[in-house]
Parts: sequence; structure tokens; C-alpha cells
Amino acid sequence: MAKKDTARAPLTPAVLHILLALSTGERHGYGIMKQVEADSQGKVKMGPGTLYGSMRRMMEAGLIRESEKRVDPEMDDERRIYYELTGAGRAALEAELNRYRGVVAVAEGRLAYGH
Amino acid sequence: MATDGAGRRCRAWYAMLLRLYPGPFRERFGEGMAQTFHDLCRERRNARRGLHGLALWIFFETSVGIVRENTSHMSQLGKTMLRVALGALAVLMVPLVASQVVEGWNWDARAFVFVYVLFFGTGMMYAVIARKMGAWSYKAGVGLALVAGFALGWSNMVHVADSENPANLVYYSVLAVGGVGASMARLEARALARTLFAMAATLAVIAVLLPSGAPPYLARNMAVLHGVFVTLFTASGLLFRHASLAGSK
Repeated sequence: MAKKDTARAPLTPAVLHILLALSTGERHGYGIMKQVEADSQGKVKMGPGTLYGSMRRMMEAGLIRESEKRVDPEMDDERRIYYELTGAGRAALEAELNRYRGVVAVAEGRLAYGH
Repeated sequence: MATDGAGRRCRAWYAMLLRLYPGPFRERFGEGMAQTFHDLCRERRNARRGLHGLALWIFFETSVGIVRENTSHMSQLGKTMLRVALGALAVLMVPLVASQVVEGWNWDARAFVFVYVLFFGTGMMYAVIARKMGAWSYKAGVGLALVAGFALGWSNMVHVADSENPANLVYYSVLAVGGVGASMARLEARALARTLFAMAATLAVIAVLLPSGAPPYLARNMAVLHGVFVTLFTASGLLFRHASLAGSK
């Protein structure tokens, strides 16, 4: 029930950015942070408090899950926990993007009419 | 340029700050958060930029997260306590109704309060321990262990009161093994499995070594009861073992 509701309800900006960052594959915390920064062209900088607080709520809602703990070959030899999207997470992201498309279509229609 | 010494100090302070998160959150994400902070510090160092601005921003941002998580944790705990309190009240209805209809069942108010506290305490133990792991087998193991422990403690309390034989107090050593084992295990499934097996073994040894002094027909019933408890503790241990194996995959 909660998972269905999450897929329908509008997402917070932090949750949307995390879902987007994970949409192309699993990442660890720092990797998500860097991807969010890249996706937003440096406009969104998420600290660990916001990132992990959002991920806690997303895991409870079944949007993401821990995948495994392993070494990132591009970084040091420390083992890191990776996170990935669940089916519900992908559905929530698609629903949110559809909502945005709808809003953009309405806005574009209004602006065209206004001109 | 940030020195290694400054980086180490910042990481140590950040680790101390993370301790202010609620326990379940810290256990799940603390390591990852510390690692992420470490990565951000290294990124700064590699870019030959100072750490202070970054550290100040992250310390502030994390402090806001700590307040938010603690508030959310307290509200969840409050809801859990309310649910358990109502559940305990519902279970208390059984002896309450029984005392009205069963002849000779005459508990006074203090007995009901005592029993309610026991029900509430057991329920809260389940609620707090079971959230430690999401696996169904872990939750089932916790439930079975608590039900068996509660039943053993309860039946022994009644038995000691009826028989007035202090030797029966030795059964509480089974619960003591469970309490000490669980705290040493830090509620990890694998160690809890060993604790439950130790409880089953302790009870089996007591059943064999302690003379019951009861007539044969009663001794047979007691042997069956011992067997049931040993089976319950063993089953709970197996459930924890299953949870441990599932968690390590």
C-alpha cells in the first residue's frame, strides 16, 4: 500500500535526484552525490545528511535497496556499500517524469496562448 | 592546502558527530556517511583546496539531519509504544475475563498490573529487537524466543510458588544465559543462534540432572514440557541461523 502511494505521490527534489542518479546503474554514496551534481550541472549539492536521510526513507518505501559491498576500482581499496533502484523505484521515477511532462505541456500551451 | 593531520582531525570529529544519530540509523548508514565524508575531503585535498569551508558546511548539514532523524525516530518509537501498550491490554483481557468466569482465579489488582508490565515489556522487546533485521526468519526467531522465554519464566514462577522448592529457581539460569548471550551477541543473527542453542542445551542439562521429586505421571508431563521448551529454543536458534545465512548471501 505504502509503496503504491509512493509511486503516485510527487517526489521531493532530493528523492528525484537520487532516483535519477541510480537510474543508469548502482552507485555508492559518494558516487550518487557526484552524479547528482553532474546531472544538475553543479546546481544541486547534496551533503551526507540529506543524502543518507533521503535514502533511509527511500529504502523504507521500497524505492531503492542495498546491492552489495565491494571495492570501487576508480577509488581506494575500501569496500563500499552500493545502492540500486527497485522496480517500485523505477516506477516512481517514470511516474514523476510523466507528471513533469504533463506540467511542461500545460505550461507551454499557456505560454503559447499568452503570446 | 589541507594537511593530512587536518583531514584526520575532521574525520575524527565527523565520526563523533555521527554518534548523535539514532542507533538503527547509525548502524545502517554511519559507515557509508563516514566514507562519503572521507571521499569529499580527499577530493578537496586533490584539488588543493582548504577543508574548513567544506567541513563547516557538512557539519552543519549533518547536524540538521541528526535533528530530523532523532525527531522521526522518537515519533516512531512513540507510535510503537502505543501499539504495544494496546496489544498488551488486549492480551490482558484473557486473564481479566478468565478471573471473572474461572472459579478460584482471584488475582488482585497488583497481579494484573504486574502481568501487564510483563506483557508490555515482552512486546517492547520484540518491537525493538525485531526491527534490527528485515529477514522474516530473524523476526520469527525473536518472536519464538521471547514467547518461549516468557512461558518458561511464567510457568517456573508459578511452579516455584506452588512447590515452594527453591531448587526450581535454577530454571532462571536458562533465561540468564539468553540475556547475557543476547547482549554479547549485540543482537547479530549468527551469535543469537548460538545463544538459543546454548539456552536449549542448558535446559536439557537441567532437565536431566535436576531431580523432580514428582510422582511418575507428573514426571512424565514435566519431561514432555521440557522437551517442548528445548524444541522451541532450538527452533528459534535455527531461525536465527537461517537469517544469518540469508543475510550473508
